[in-house]
Amino acid sequence: MKNLFTFVGMALIMALSLFLAVITGDYGPWYFAWLVGTTMIVLIAVAGAVMYEKQDAESQGKTGRLH
Amino acid sequence: MDMLINPTVVELSRLQFALTALYHFLFVPLTLGLTFLLATMESVYVITGKPIYKEMTQFWGKLFAINFALGVATGLTMEFEFGTNWSMYSHFVGDIFGTPLAIEGLMAFFMESTFVGIMFFGWDRISAKAHLVVTYLVALGSNLSALWILIANGFMQDPRGGTFDPNTMRLEFSSFVQLIFNEDAQAKFVHTSIAGFVTGSMFVMGISAFYLLTNKRKDIALRSFRIAAVFGVISTIGVVTLGDALGFIDAKAQPMKVAAMEAIWNTDYNTASAPWNLIAFPDKAAGKNLFEIGVPYVLTPLLTHSEDTVIPGIHQLVDEAKPKVVNGIKAMVALKEYNHDHSNVQALATFKQYQTDMGYGFLAMQYAPDQDLKKVDASNLASVVDKTAHETVPNVWVEFWAFRIMVAFGFIMLAIFAFAAYFSLKNEVEKHPLLLKVALWSIPLPWFACEFGWITAENGRQPWTVYNMLPTFVSASSHSVGYMIFSLIGFVLLYSSFIAAEMYLMFKYARLGPQASHHGHDQAPAGGGMAGQPAFAKPSLAKK
Ligand code: HEM
Repeated sequence: MKNLFTFVGMALIMALSLFLAVITGDYGPWYFAWLVGTTMIVLIAVAGAVMYEKQDAESQGKTGRLH
Repeated sequence: MDMLINPTVVELSRLQFALTALYHFLFVPLTLGLTFLLATMESVYVITGKPIYKEMTQFWGKLFAINFALGVATGLTMEFEFGTNWSMYSHFVGDIFGTPLAIEGLMAFFMESTFVGIMFFGWDRISAKAHLVVTYLVALGSNLSALWILIANGFMQDPRGGTFDPNTMRLEFSSFVQLIFNEDAQAKFVHTSIAGFVTGSMFVMGISAFYLLTNKRKDIALRSFRIAAVFGVISTIGVVTLGDALGFIDAKAQPMKVAAMEAIWNTDYNTASAPWNLIAFPDKAAGKNLFEIGVPYVLTPLLTHSEDTVIPGIHQLVDEAKPKVVNGIKAMVALKEYNHDHSNVQALATFKQYQTDMGYGFLAMQYAPDQDLKKVDASNLASVVDKTAHETVPNVWVEFWAFRIMVAFGFIMLAIFAFAAYFSLKNEVEKHPLLLKVALWSIPLPWFACEFGWITAENGRQPWTVYNMLPTFVSASSHSVGYMIFSLIGFVLLYSSFIAAEMYLMFKYARLGPQASHHGHDQAPAGGGMAGQPAFAKPSLAKK
């Protein structure tokens, strides 16, 4: 049941994204660019932080420091 | 509309609005950017499960809270100001302007404020994932409420979606779609929102640099610095490219503003080699630059993204305005006749014929004998037209330099963020104390860029409140000078105390920083870590 809800939820998000892409892509290219751009900025910054954790773990591994 | 409002009252109303708007915009960009940075930090918390990211979100959230409260409070006053100080404007465009403004109010109060409450107080009450969704909704809500006010401003810059009704003497809604998808509003929204991202990033990066320089909670500082530097470098690239796009759109909708921004007095038909003024001292009275340093071959591609588009200079635009003034006078005289007698179909027909230039007729009123356009005749027409056409030129000096300061700060910040991101990604920021110091002292830069951005946008729109339609001097309320001075002093006193309180709290909490961790950076400090802090700042122990 939980899987079904997740599936339906994801499907709704996908439908909404497609709708937004078609409508804003046609009439509001800048709004669409903002949605895509902001998502991208957030995701890259998150990736930057995850990368930090990896670098930190590696440097601690080298120095033998414990977490 | 026969009697013009006392020019001193108009000037005082402008001063009051400019001051309150610039003041309000000290708080807005941080809200726009910091919310998405909080969402980023919290996303890392949910993805990695490391409690330090929760602590980071809560710490920066506390600084956000101080700023948010004043942002909403000072925004509210501005909404009232439209009615109190700009009642003619509100009457004229209220039908259109009121709608986005009302949606903005609803978004700010219901969406943003509700979710802000859950964001601060819901840490221990909802699951980590649900809380993350709430933080994203706060970020989205604050940017969406900015969207609506920028749609309203986009209408003032390039009025679309409304038609003037001579029966009600108001601009009335003709298309909601045109209003919200107005190119100017769209470009404004992306530029302004991303300018907020830059502001948030510089704020977080600068304060983190301070902690690194003073050896305070390095675990939080290094991670915050990394996120802010990466977030900031992409956002700054965004704000620069989107600023360029905004200038491109401006050039189509408001050629006079762009000519003033670049201090171009004479049209240069050698489009390819036309010089771009790096430095100039424009003199409006003399109609030329007293001094200029130009870089050839840059202007046309920079502004028009082509090699052969002619950019009209200020003198040419003034000449082009003259026939519009003549038509505008005809439109206004006919409108007045129609207003006296609604059965006068001839007057209505004449008005409709010249309606597009109506705004220029309004503008001519101040130069007509006794401010009565009916008294403009062959003997004084040339002089009225000439003065009115020159009135369409904004303050070129302010426009040129405000624009340049914004752009210069944009590039300086790009360089700082680029170095910061590079060294942070190599995990070497601590080896570069100079970079850390520069990051700290650069915290005010995005605020300056934003304020000068607004000066560029609004000074360049003068002499209009609604571009080409409604001049500023007929938009104000007919208050007395005494009342205006009284309210201005009130604002200055009240707002000075607000800013003093904000700065005090910001400095206090930023200096204090996140409390020292006694548990190593991968663990949440147990209870006492943030003891004495407001409830929303206390991290919960459980890793959700
Ligand atoms: C190369 C860099 C930049 C360019 C070409 C640029 C371009 C522009 C233009 C043309 C306007 C006037 C819009 C109008 O007439 O309505 C503007 C306004 C503005 N700019 Fe910039 N800008 C740049 C950098 C920045 C930076 C770095 C910030 C802040 C971090 C910023 C913040 C603003 C703000 C807040 C406004 C007023 C709101 C608006 O009209 O969007 N700009 N910018």
